[in-house]
Amino acid sequence: MSESAVYMYALARSDGWQPTSLRGVDDQPVRTVSTGPLSCIVSTVSLDQFGEQALQRNLEDLAWLERTARQHDAIVHACASRTTVMPLRMATICADDDSVRSRLTGMADQVVETLAQLEGRDEWGVKVFAGESPSADSRPRPPRTSGTAYLQQLRDQRARIGDSVEAAARDAEVIFAALRDRAVLAHRHRPQDGRLTGDARTMVLNAAFLVDREEAAKFHDAVAELSGSRPAGSVVLTGPWPPYSFTTGVDR
Amino acid sequence: MNPATEVMPPSGSTSLVDLLDRLLGAGIVLSGDITIALADVDLVTIKLRALLTTVQEDDR
Repeated sequence: MSESAVYMYALARSDGWQPTSLRGVDDQPVRTVSTGPLSCIVSTVSLDQFGEQALQRNLEDLAWLERTARQHDAIVHACASRTTVMPLRMATICADDDSVRSRLTGMADQVVETLAQLEGRDEWGVKVFAGESPSADSRPRPPRTSGTAYLQQLRDQRARIGDSVEAAARDAEVIFAALRDRAVLAHRHRPQDGRLTGDARTMVLNAAFLVDREEAAKFHDAVAELSGSRPAGSVVLTGPWPPYSFTTGVDR
Repeated sequence: MNPATEVMPPSGSTSLVDLLDRLLGAGIVLSGDITIALADVDLVTIKLRALLTTVQEDDR
C-alpha cells in the first residue's frame, strides 16, 4: 500500500461493541481508535484514492461516489446495529491515528451526551410527493376544436398541477407537525430535485425523524394514518437509518 | 399499511440521493487533515446534479 491516511466513519463509546470482521471503503479492516470514553470507527485508506487531489477527482466520478457512499453506509449500519453511533460526514479523513485521537480529545463530554440521546433510537425518513405524476392519458388531446380551446386546456392542466402541489405542501406541513410530536427529534432535508431522483412528482417534504426503537411500529401506524387522511400528498417512508440527520452540532 | 404509503426495503434499494442527503448533508462535520471541496456540500451537489442530468440525457 502506498502512503496511507485514516478514514473515519462514526463515533461510539469505547466501552461498547467493537467491530472485528468488517472491511472499509478501501478494503482494509475496520477498527477503532480510542481515547478516554470515546472510540472512532475507522479504516486505513490509501492517499492514491483518498488524498486531497484524488478525492476532488473521485467525488465527481458517480460510480466511485456511489460505491464509496454505499460502503460507508454499510459499515455505519453494521456498527449501528450493535452499538450506538454518531455518524460522521462521508470522507472525513485524518493523517494518522494520533490525529484522530487529538480530535476526540476535547469533544468527549458533548459526544457522550449526544450518544446517550441516540441510544435505542433510529432515524426514519418521510418524503411527501405531490400526487401522482400526470400520465400520458391525462394530457390534453390534440386540438379537435380550435387552437384556442387546446391552449385553454393546457392552461387548466397546469393550474391543476400547481393547485395539487400547493395542496400537497399544506398536507406535508400537517404530516410533519404530527410526526414531530411522535418523534424525539425531527429534521428537514431540502426536498430532492426530480432531476436527481428521476421522479416526475414534486417533492414537498424530505424529513427525518429520530424515533425510539420500541415506538417504531406506532410511528409507522401514524405515517400510514396520516397518509390516508391527507390524500393530496403521497408518502414514502424509508429506514431504519443510523442517526445520520441527528448528529450535527459538534465542531461546527 | 395504507396503499398510498410506500415502504422502502431497509437495504439494497436505498436511493443514492437519500443516502447522499445524509452522508453529505448531515453527520458531524469534523475538520479532518485532508480538507477538500466536500466542506462545501453545495459544490458537490451542483456537480452531481450536472453529472446526473448528463447521465439522464444520455439514457434518452
